[in-house]
Amino acid sequence: MKTRLKPTPAYKLGFLWFYFLGCFVVSSQQSRTVSGTITDKSNGETLFGASVYLSGTTIGGTTNEYGFYSITAPEGNYVLHISYLGYHDENITISLTSDIKQDVEISEASTLLEEVVVTGDEPEKAILRKPEMSVAKMNMGTVRQMPVVLGEMDILKSLQMLPGVTNNGEGTGGFHVRGGAQDQNLVLLDEAIIYNTSHMFGFFSVFNADAIKDLKLYKGGIPAQFGGRVSSVLDVRQKDGNSKSFALTGGIGVISSRLAAEGPMFRDKGSFLIAGRRSYIDLFLKAAGEKNSVSFYDLNLKTNYSINPNNKLFLSGYFGRDAFQLGSIFESSYGNATGNLRWNHIFSDRLFSNLSLILSRYDYDLNFQQEDFEWLSSITNLNLKYDFKYYVSDAFKIDFGANGIAYNFDPGQIAPTSDDSIINELQLDRKRALESGLYVSAEQKITSKLSLQYGLRYSYFIRFGGQAITTYENDQPVVYNPTLDIYERGKPTGETYFSKSETIETYGNLEPRVSLAFLASRQSSVKASFSRMAQYIHLLSNTSSVTPLDVWTPSGPFIKPQLSDQYSLGYFHDFNDEAYSLEVEGYFKTVDNRIDYIDGSELIGQNTIETEILNGEMRAYGLELLLRKNEGDLTGWVAYTLSKSEQRTPGGNAGGPGINGGEWYNAFFDRTHDISVSGSYRLNDRWSFGSSLVFQTGRPVTYPIGQYTYEGRSFTSYSDRNSDRLPAYHRIDFSVNYKPNRSENKRLKGEWILSIYNLYNRKNAASISFGQNLETGANEATRTAIFGIVPSITYNFKF
Amino acid sequence: MKQFINSLLILSIIPILSCTDVIDVEVPQGPTRLVIEASLDWEKGTAGNEQTIRLSKSTPYFDSNAFVPAEGAQVSVTNLSSSVTYIFTDQGDGEYRTSSFEPVMGQSYSLTIQYDGEIYNAFETMTPVTNIIDIYQSREDGFDDEALEAHILFNDPDEESNNYLFKFKRAGDLLPVLEAGDDKFINGNQIDWWYEIMEDEDQNVVPFEPGDILDINMYGISRPYYDYIKVMISQMGNSGPFTPVPAAVKGNCINRTNPENFPYGYFRLSEMVKERYIFTE
Repeated sequence: MKTRLKPTPAYKLGFLWFYFLGCFVVSSQQSRTVSGTITDKSNGETLFGASVYLSGTTIGGTTNEYGFYSITAPEGNYVLHISYLGYHDENITISLTSDIKQDVEISEASTLLEEVVVTGDEPEKAILRKPEMSVAKMNMGTVRQMPVVLGEMDILKSLQMLPGVTNNGEGTGGFHVRGGAQDQNLVLLDEAIIYNTSHMFGFFSVFNADAIKDLKLYKGGIPAQFGGRVSSVLDVRQKDGNSKSFALTGGIGVISSRLAAEGPMFRDKGSFLIAGRRSYIDLFLKAAGEKNSVSFYDLNLKTNYSINPNNKLFLSGYFGRDAFQLGSIFESSYGNATGNLRWNHIFSDRLFSNLSLILSRYDYDLNFQQEDFEWLSSITNLNLKYDFKYYVSDAFKIDFGANGIAYNFDPGQIAPTSDDSIINELQLDRKRALESGLYVSAEQKITSKLSLQYGLRYSYFIRFGGQAITTYENDQPVVYNPTLDIYERGKPTGETYFSKSETIETYGNLEPRVSLAFLASRQSSVKASFSRMAQYIHLLSNTSSVTPLDVWTPSGPFIKPQLSDQYSLGYFHDFNDEAYSLEVEGYFKTVDNRIDYIDGSELIGQNTIETEILNGEMRAYGLELLLRKNEGDLTGWVAYTLSKSEQRTPGGNAGGPGINGGEWYNAFFDRTHDISVSGSYRLNDRWSFGSSLVFQTGRPVTYPIGQYTYEGRSFTSYSDRNSDRLPAYHRIDFSVNYKPNRSENKRLKGEWILSIYNLYNRKNAASISFGQNLETGANEATRTAIFGIVPSITYNFKF
Repeated sequence: MKQFINSLLILSIIPILSCTDVIDVEVPQGPTRLVIEASLDWEKGTAGNEQTIRLSKSTPYFDSNAFVPAEGAQVSVTNLSSSVTYIFTDQGDGEYRTSSFEPVMGQSYSLTIQYDGEIYNAFETMTPVTNIIDIYQSREDGFDDEALEAHILFNDPDEESNNYLFKFKRAGDLLPVLEAGDDKFINGNQIDWWYEIMEDEDQNVVPFEPGDILDINMYGISRPYYDYIKVMISQMGNSGPFTPVPAAVKGNCINRTNPENFPYGYFRLSEMVKERYIFTE
């Protein structure tokens, strides 16, 4: 449901919530506040999600992304209790007779054992009381325990072991959440948008585990502070860098190696982290005389500086690049680059703020050496964001803020690289847009058993001029041809030029978000949530998996923003004093205005995308089950997802029945069953083992239904879109982790990781293609399997 | 732009660890449909009076007999300006022939087929093609810089949007290879279109060798036919994750009696250049 509002009501809305705030401030005067930051004793990293409570009361909360907490309680003497998975509990006696500041350092529970493991995440247990639901969290320690292909720890592959998260087959990048498309995930690295999450076509993720502090994937019940994508938010945060002492960590693997350095800076008022990775498969290939090559590298940077206890600056950056070369024909490189300057300012012990200026860019460059031309494309955005967290009272907290993202789209420019080139110069229309958002979100304890989180986001999108917009006969960029029963490109009637100061189109959407948690017993709770999300930019892809060369395009006169509504309901239970936890969630999601591509659509070098697409819708529903064992030598989980994801595209304005006859069809990433089992076992201080099992229904595909002879060749006729499936996908991985004997005073600490991917060497079909054998003329089906059994060995060290 | 598209296809199969094998797959079976191969090709410098239309029926995908002739049809083509109708006579093997066709450049024609109690028809315009200036060989270009490839040199006309179909066949090979291109990025330029055969041990395919004879047909095609044949070709060999989703491709022939029972194939009228090239050392 689109509501198109002028800016005025949004301002009014703003006044309304400031007024709202005022009321609550007045009501909590008799109380005192204790606030501060929780950090790791060994390296000074702030801890996100640590639980801080006043012992013997239900007063407390968790730390925010910057480790900050604020608790307000009646005057008196208390014991401040801090707990965090993998850390020793800390108890501090405080006298709350005035507002006080209490920073706390906590130490890891088993420093001897887990030295190499970077901890720093919320307990991976169902937090019963918090209204937050549909959140997939991963401890970096857990990520490290899991066996992975080619020995490179990969947070995205680890996330895919959780319910509701899948990929689109081996050798493809990205991930899918609750039946959503890849471009419907908002992926943030230190708040900066990452447009392509994978290196080497999905073999590796862009996130270097050495530089990552924590990650959180919101599959539903998405807080109002996030907007811009309709399916999920993956919030990844980089480590700040060790502020206590200088440290070097690294790993040497078969395909790639990494190194990270961190340490204190600015006379102990700050710290830095610099981490890099590089693959060297290209060097091997070159040495072997192979003319084709593929490689990647990336660099993470972060530094912070405390001006005073109330003001802290952070600067972070990421730069990653992939390159591949195809003999002397063609070379390509692509990658993300981001930068973020942040200012944490504590206005008072109850009002925390963060101001960020964020730059993100994704670009690719194809160089066709043989044809002497270059193809460039990019998307760049600058995001200014101001967020506040106001701890009004123990029972009431408010988040509010605003942001504006200015986009520049350069969908493609072709430039001849020599005078001999047969290619003409071409520039596809550059596009400009501004996406802004304003939000307020409250977390409220209604009773000791019922907590609510409710918020509202107002997003407003402006597509600016600076380009011409093609007009079409009858306003139809796509026309249905009833005689041939096909969709054809509409007839252009002219162009309207919009100057840079003009607005081509605007959209505004109100996005309510509500979730609640009801504590049914001491061990169990029921949660429910609703969220509406709007998405203004779209990734153009008419293939079953997106490629690094797909192009983003903004909403405009022909492409409307995608709008999703998601309902979820969950049941959470802790057993045996939290040794086990069970999470069961069901969801139903609809997405309006999902673009789909007409048969034979041509997206490469296409200036008028509107002639290739129709507006459709998606729906997805499913049931997710997650049983975890959180404690003991054997830990791990069993995850099961039963789901359905479909798409439908009626003819609409173009007329006719629509794509696939206007019928619902399986989305490319629909998986009926998805089972993941992951476990790790610690035998002793030196040896530990990890294993995982994956079983998934095969990917939907379109199979041949017949053949016919035409122009001397056998051609194929195909069934309805995605009405068949590849064979089921399954595999088992295994890893052994060995930590050589270490003496306490030895600085260099290392570990060996041997991992075997696809233990029983199953040839899982990434695709099956059909064609005519050139020798015999007979049709045949050819299966492409990406990974057979892949053993690998990695050495990780810390100095 | 052929090379560009090809490169993108290759790019999609780059994963180095991947392996392929031929497997048995059960596929669904769709309805049997009439297949119309009405390609009226007018070779430059000839009268173009000899024309053949082939009619057949589609078969199950893995059936060894891919050509089941459709006999007993009545086939005719009409010049829409002069209303002259050319009757194609049934040869009893799925082929229908005439030797009295009169091609006119830029002229629109209609096709009418009466088969099995149903009437099919289609409309198309005779489309011209430019001359081939030169054909030469080299090894440096192409995907394999050790393998021979043939280069076809021609001038793309300035004014209009031109579309090309190439049919390559090496003497002794079982099957021809089709490639289609347009002048989207290269309008008005001299075009060097190369054709190379990549080695494929599984299918016993070897690259060109000196002495190999290559037959080259270059056709001028209409934009709708280009859109059609481009999709047809792209669906021929590959349905990997990075290729567009395959779909039933509909040509320009309509079943007037029962639209649901649509035919496969196309009614095309093209001017054509035919050349033969013999590779040397």
